[in-house]
Amino acid sequence: MGLLYRVTSPPGRTVAGSWRGARRAEPAMAPRANGRGAVMGHSALATVGAASIQRLVDSITDLALIQLDRNAVVRGWHAAAEALTGYPASEAVGEPITLLYTDNDVAARRANADQRAATETGRHEFRGWLVRKDGARFWASVTFSPLRDDAGNPEGYLSVIRDLTDDRAGELALLSIEQMVDAITDYEVIRLDPDGVVRSWSEGARRLKGYSEEEIVGRSASLFYTEQDSRAGVLSREMETAARAGRVEAEGWRVRKDGSQFWCNMIMSPIRDAAGELLGYVRVGRDLTDQKEQTRLLQRQREEILELSTPVIQVWDNVLVLPVIGTLDSARAARLTESLLDRIAQIQAEVVILDISGVPAIDTDVAQHMLRTVEAARLMGTTSILSGVRPETAQSIVHLGIDLGTLRSRNSLKDALQLALGLVGAASSDRVSFDA
Amino acid sequence: MRDQVPILRMGNDLLITLQGDLDDATVEHIEQVVTREVARASAAGALIDISGLAVVDSFVARVLARLVAMVRLLGAEATIVGIQPAVAITLVELGVPMGHVRTALNAEQGMAQLRGVRDESTSR
Repeated sequence: MGLLYRVTSPPGRTVAGSWRGARRAEPAMAPRANGRGAVMGHSALATVGAASIQRLVDSITDLALIQLDRNAVVRGWHAAAEALTGYPASEAVGEPITLLYTDNDVAARRANADQRAATETGRHEFRGWLVRKDGARFWASVTFSPLRDDAGNPEGYLSVIRDLTDDRAGELALLSIEQMVDAITDYEVIRLDPDGVVRSWSEGARRLKGYSEEEIVGRSASLFYTEQDSRAGVLSREMETAARAGRVEAEGWRVRKDGSQFWCNMIMSPIRDAAGELLGYVRVGRDLTDQKEQTRLLQRQREEILELSTPVIQVWDNVLVLPVIGTLDSARAARLTESLLDRIAQIQAEVVILDISGVPAIDTDVAQHMLRTVEAARLMGTTSILSGVRPETAQSIVHLGIDLGTLRSRNSLKDALQLALGLVGAASSDRVSFDA
Repeated sequence: MRDQVPILRMGNDLLITLQGDLDDATVEHIEQVVTREVARASAAGALIDISGLAVVDSFVARVLARLVAMVRLLGAEATIVGIQPAVAITLVELGVPMGHVRTALNAEQGMAQLRGVRDESTSR
């Protein structure tokens, strides 16, 4: 009897059944039991309930079921197949399935390959373009399952066609995002799950860290951290901050697969679903080792220059001279204050001479810096004397309305030194008036 | 720090050493002890050494200014000694008004300064 077939379903499970038995299998498998195809098979359905199964099959509209014989010639044509392809059963039955294939696929003998694969594996699916009667192409999933008669002899194939044009658009969008991410080779763009386990990897990440996708996906991102950072829980802190603040940016030494380290700038943001549930994190990282080195070098050079540009000279037992040369910016001024005060503490200087004859112009900022330095020195118990004020400097100080307070000033370094020695050598009664 | 405000008498002057952390209770205690001692000894001057303070912030700065004012009200001169470079910078950055507080590098110079002030005021 032609109603029973043995069909091997995808995982290799053997299902034997009639129309009724077919209910246990997925709906797409249903019409395989009909020896002559769904549309023309009414007369062959002798079992009870066959008519209702037929109605069920006919009501499937988003899957097209096609029965093929061993030579892949159409023997059964489902109503949905007509709707999908534009061929009525009368035109399709008796034609090879390649009727729906693109010229390229026909040339590549795709149908033969598909049948062979279906026979060997029990189920074969391909995704590709099919052609409608009007010549329009649509993206489809086509599955082939071999049909066997009671004796187990191959009798043909059941082919299920699904229109995936809409899915295809989504698939393409997804693909292009993946491609986009992979095209970013200077940055790593990876996804972590909420526990910090790597879930997606990119070409840029591979270049940066040396792990291939197979090696790293499924492992914890704490691998990228130095042992110390890993123990300190830097990753979980970063994830926590990202989840709370919506973003975290961090820089630090990270570890490559080969154990070498690089200075990494990383931005991490949480990924949430529509309900706000945390799905994971997206991490964008970048190798900034070169920039880091450069910054460090610059910083060191800058410090050296600052060091050179703010010399503090001891000219007498308790007298210091600070010749200020060039323009004072805030970094230099801070450095100047610092080195002066340290020196004061070191030699317990009683008088400091600030010589500004080498300063091209005094503006409010520079004056403020100087005054703050003088005040800090005073708090330590040291008297300051200004020297080297040029005529134009004197004018601009007064015009700017800068109040030098009780700061004493002398025209030349020589005069300032004289005053300083007088203060140091003289009775301490001379040294009390600076807060008056 | 309670009951541990070392106060040394040096001639007519007192050397008061502040140490550790200052909190409200400690400050109150210090103020009591210092005013009591200055009054009891009829001190002419008080040197306050703050080199041993762990933190000097605007609170401590206000405390110091207050202490100086109290000493002055008791008829003595006050000088703060031992301000470290970092402390000096902090106080200036904070903009704490310390203009009326006399300072000196160390106890020795502070002492000389106090004597100088006295000589000046007696000679006037």
